[in-house]
Amino acid sequence: MERLPQEKRLDYLLRSSKIVAEGFLGDDARSLEEIIETDISALVHMGCTPEQVAERMQELTAIAVPHMGNPVRIDDWLEVVSQDYKGQIICPWPHPVRLPKRVTTARRLDTEESIRWSDLNIHMIAEHGFFEGHGSAFRIEPALLVRVIFEDFAGPV
Amino acid sequence: MSINAQLWTAAVTCFAAIFTNNILLMYFLGMCPFTSVSREVKTAFGLGVAVVFVMTCTAILNWVAYRYILVPLNLEFFRFIMFIIIIAAFVQFVEMVIDRYSPKLYYALGIFLPLITVNCAILGASLFMIIRDYTFIVTVGYGLGSGLGWLLAIMSMAGIRQRLAHARIPRGLDGPGITLIIAGLMALAFIGFTGVLG
Amino acid sequence: MLTVLLSVLIVSSVSAGLALVLVVADRFVANYGECTITINEQKKLKVQGGKNVLAALTEEKLFIPSACGGRGTCGYCKVRATEGAGPVLPTETPFLTPKEIEDNVRLSCQIKIRNDLKIEIPEELLAVKEYEAVCSRITDLTYDMKHFHFELRDPPTIDFVPGQYIQLLCPQYKGNREEVYRAYSVASDPADKTIIDLIIRRVPNGICTTWCFDFLKEGDTVRFNGPYGEFRLSQTDAPMIWVAGASGMAPFVSLLYQMRNERITRPTTYFFGGNKVKDMFYLDRMRAFEKELPNFRFVPVVAAPDEGEQWDGERGLVTQALERADADLSGHEGYLCGSPGMIDAAIKVMNQLGIPNERIFYDKFE
Repeated sequence: MERLPQEKRLDYLLRSSKIVAEGFLGDDARSLEEIIETDISALVHMGCTPEQVAERMQELTAIAVPHMGNPVRIDDWLEVVSQDYKGQIICPWPHPVRLPKRVTTARRLDTEESIRWSDLNIHMIAEHGFFEGHGSAFRIEPALLVRVIFEDFAGPV
Repeated sequence: MSINAQLWTAAVTCFAAIFTNNILLMYFLGMCPFTSVSREVKTAFGLGVAVVFVMTCTAILNWVAYRYILVPLNLEFFRFIMFIIIIAAFVQFVEMVIDRYSPKLYYALGIFLPLITVNCAILGASLFMIIRDYTFIVTVGYGLGSGLGWLLAIMSMAGIRQRLAHARIPRGLDGPGITLIIAGLMALAFIGFTGVLG
Repeated sequence: MLTVLLSVLIVSSVSAGLALVLVVADRFVANYGECTITINEQKKLKVQGGKNVLAALTEEKLFIPSACGGRGTCGYCKVRATEGAGPVLPTETPFLTPKEIEDNVRLSCQIKIRNDLKIEIPEELLAVKEYEAVCSRITDLTYDMKHFHFELRDPPTIDFVPGQYIQLLCPQYKGNREEVYRAYSVASDPADKTIIDLIIRRVPNGICTTWCFDFLKEGDTVRFNGPYGEFRLSQTDAPMIWVAGASGMAPFVSLLYQMRNERITRPTTYFFGGNKVKDMFYLDRMRAFEKELPNFRFVPVVAAPDEGEQWDGERGLVTQALERADADLSGHEGYLCGSPGMIDAAIKVMNQLGIPNERIFYDKFE
């Protein structure tokens, strides 16, 4: 089916380095729709929704932000640290969303697994179900994310 | 036919083209922009007016080209190519004018403005006039009527869709699915006009 | 045979004829001719119609801020269009508040020039120029911070107010197919007009900082435009509290040079925060300034020094050190430079210590 100009434009912005170096799709050749669908089904398979994980990510970031780059422990099993940088980053979708350049890293103290995300990741997961393409620097693996940020998902998935 | 008879036929043909022989709902020509641009009544109206204008003018231009270039040279079989070329050039011209005088409409129509070129209703109207052997005046009436019929159909569809915007539609049917069902129901309704003009 | 030739001839001539009609129509309908843009009721520019205002102004060397190169995705290029700009387009409305729309504020990259226009832009944008310079020295300051020294070539001198920033042009490089501009505060002595210094911190996956750290070499030529920004010393005599973190040190270096050159003796305490001892830099330079400016005190603060690291200075978050420092700062002015999180936290503490928002200055780099 002929792609609408808006879809083509979105795909272009995601693949180009207009917003972040090396784009959001890494070396992933799949279409945006396929990437989103695969990741969302992975999440649903584990029993949670994009909104739930985004809410938890936001919660963790909010706890870490006042510590301005210093790690903070949560409940003995999780350590988060949040670093922010000057400037703002825009969302590639066609709405005027601008977010701080902030990177939060979360590390489980029992399994030593860790994952990092940006404020833009939180927005893209919550609003667009987008976890970025394979090979992208800020690609979030849904399975790894769920294992790290939720206490009950510690077992192998 | 005398001029009066032609004018009367033109009027009847125009009326028929709008209601009983609606080019979109009876012959299913011009469905693509119909399903895509019919979300808002205002945009639908803008596109519809553009289509009326293009359909009427190209019907006239194509009639002249057929009668005075193709027929004398026995090249009637070339009408498909000839008509498309004329339609394409004309739409380009319309695009330029809209961009110049109404940037808001130009932006709102976006890709669908140049897509009028391949709207099969436009080519269809020109081909029908050949098949049915309409005279010049009747052609004007027919082109105008077809365009108005298309405008009527797309505006009705937009009105219905705007009403449905907040309705709870099953997820599988959302978008093109429900639009085609509505189009089918509208077509059924318009069939009710058959036989109105005996 | 004749039919074939004839049909080809007919179709070709009809096509050619129509093409000709279109070309002529294009000349008349799409030709907007030469239009005049009047800026701030004074400057008049003659430009060719058909392009957008941002592009036209950039061609005339007037630099309206833009992060997206005119694609309508950043919302930075706002100007006030009082006449001739046409209706507001749907591409602009997401970026404009209702008050702005009422005031005729528009996105200059979305205004197509079809006739004469009148626009208003902030005065200092008229002083912005494009510069070409050579990077003559790159120094490591910490593991993620570098100092870049640039010698100006064309034009050979720059006039800036300490505290202002420039927009550095990051060119295409491996992995990055787009040119972007990024803002960096100037960290050099304003008295030396032939050079500028920048202090840049690496941003993960950042377009410009990746280029600066991994590709830019000594001897390379760069382009930037500026100066921009309203962050600078106030005209009063009030004592000052400065708070900065990481690359936020940059504009304060420039301010210190200014205070030294102009013999400004306002009591100033500068809190500079970092997470570890390895985030600290320029400690010696600050001590030197302390000697030259008798009322200047530098307070480096490390949040959590590692075991075994030698650190005799203040500890904790920079905002905590600020809280510990003094009781009543109601007569002071606050100056901030750093990440948005640090700025928000510092403003809160300053408010608590008695400094109202009107006396706190910072560049938020939006």
